Parts: sequence; C-alpha cells; structure tokens
Amino acid sequence: MATDVKPTRKNLMAIEDRIELSERGHDTLEKKRDGLIMEFMDILDQAQDVRSELEDTYDRAQQRLDMARAMDGDVAVRGAAAALKEHPEITTQSKNIMGVVVPQIESTRVRKSLDQRGYGVLGTSSRIDAAAEAYEELLEQIILAAEVETAMKELLDEIETTKRRVNALEFKLLPELHSNKEYIEQKLEEQEREEIFRMKKIKDKKEAQERAEREAAEAESVSADD
Amino acid sequence: MSKEIAVVGSPDFTTGFRLAGVRKAVSVPEDEMSAELDETVKEQLESDDVGILVMHDDDLEYLSRGVREAVQQSVDPVLVTLGGGTDSGNLREQIKRAIGIDLMEEDEQQL
Repeated sequence: MATDVKPTRKNLMAIEDRIELSERGHDTLEKKRDGLIMEFMDILDQAQDVRSELEDTYDRAQQRLDMARAMDGDVAVRGAAAALKEHPEITTQSKNIMGVVVPQIESTRVRKSLDQRGYGVLGTSSRIDAAAEAYEELLEQIILAAEVETAMKELLDEIETTKRRVNALEFKLLPELHSNKEYIEQKLEEQEREEIFRMKKIKDKKEAQERAEREAAEAESVSADD
Repeated sequence: MSKEIAVVGSPDFTTGFRLAGVRKAVSVPEDEMSAELDETVKEQLESDDVGILVMHDDDLEYLSRGVREAVQQSVDPVLVTLGGGTDSGNLREQIKRAIGIDLMEEDEQQL
C-alpha cells in the first residue's frame, strides 16, 4: 500500500478516474493483443509453407549446380557467374497490420531470359542455364520468405510490447490504484468516526456546562429567596 | 530506394547466387570463417544498400554471440537462412516468449 497518498476526497476522486481510465486501456490493449495474435497465426501458417518450399527449392538448385559443376567444371560455372550483367534489386513498401508497419518487398530483374544473363550461349551448357534458372527461382522464394519473416518479427515485437503493457496494468498499476483507493477510503472513514466522536464529546461537555450553569443559577435564586 | 540481396558464405554456397546475378556475394573460405565471418556480416548489416542477407544456417555457428543475435533480430536487412530445415532460427524462441506457447512444436507433432 502506498502510504504517501494524501487521504483527501479530491485524491479519491482522481484515483477513481485513473482506475476507470486504466481499466478501459487494459481492455483495449487486451483486444489489441488478441487481434495481433490472430494476425500472427495467419502469417505463421504462411511462413511455414514458404519456409518448406524455400528449403525444397534450395535443394533443387544445389543439385542443379552440382550437376553443372560435375559436367562442365567449376571454372566454367564460375566464368558464367562472373559474366552476369543484370543484377536483381528489391524495393520495399510498407503495409499496416493493426498499427504494425510490415514491409512489402518487390523485386526486379530476378528472372532473366537466356540473352539477358550475359554469358555466351556457345560457351556454356544447358546445365548451367538450368542451375541459373533454379537459383533465380530460389531468389524469388528468398524474397518472399524475407517479407513474411520480417512481418513475423515485427508482429512478435508488437505482441511482446502489448503483452508487457497489459501485464503492467493488470499486475502493477491497477492493484496499486485499488490499494490506494482502499487506503484513502479507510482513512476518510476513520476521520469521519473521529469527527463524530469529537462532536459527541463537545456536545456532552456543553450539556454538562449548561447543566452546571443552570444548577448554579437555581442555587443562586434559592439563596436570594431565603 | 532500391536495395540489393547480399549473400555471405563459403565459395560453394555463393557461386549459385552469383549465377543468378547477385553482385554482393561475399565468399569466406571455410577455414577462415571463425576469424572473418563476424566482420563480413557486420559490414553487410551496416551497409545501407543491403535489404536481404542470405546465409547458410550452419555458418551462423561461426558468428560470435553478439553478432549472431544482431543479425537474427535485424529487420533491415533481414536475414534469411538456408539449409536449416523448417525451424527458422531464434524465431521459435521469440514466439515462445511473446505468445507463451511453442507453436512450432505443435506443428512438428502434427507432421
């Protein structure tokens, strides 16, 4: 219990207002947290699909590259790789999910036609083309995975923050406010009881004084008659 | 602003990406990984024109704890790891911390 609160009616009213506001905020944050978790569940399903597809594509791309290396030689593959002129680029835009800004990644020049790749058609084999194509497909999957996994990270951060705020309100601020309110109410009741007791005492004292005065006056009038 | 995809890993890992046109493919030989990988990854993290960083899941082992955590938590650039199966790194831990349940374990059991 915080005993540094002054037990006044004004403070009691202010605390009651704060309790009302905090309870409203707590409800809103709880709704936000639940909403974010629902959104996160959707993205998690999507992310797991993307992840497993990404791993399959990576295995396939590696197999094709190994094949090209085995048949055409490492030097030929590295030579073809060094000749490339078109480079994939990504641009990021943002999307808002319940107040959380998540990226939307758009890519350019990932998929290339044979003549866009830049290496000579005569000097290379179809196995190198197949490997290049598989890696281009892998890049597309990577971009998709990056988008989904970033969204997941952002959402998880926001869920954690919201959860912490809800817990702080529920287990720290609201119990403190309730205990302060109880303390002030008890103090005010105590003050009221003391006040009543004091008034009674004053009344008794006054009555006793009046009685004594009355008796003195009566005694005086009796002696005057005599 | 357009950004690029960066790939960091062994020469075997990066060759395929070079073939797909990735310009920022940094090869670090296996025997120099523990000495050089930290610095190379830090450079890519600090680079403004890198939007996605691709690494092999096994190579994360060579990173020091601080750099590994920084790269896993980074959003710009975001790290995408390959070859580590469907379990995507520290995301599982983060899910456990934020939601309170290991959602990925449920999925593993379903599979």
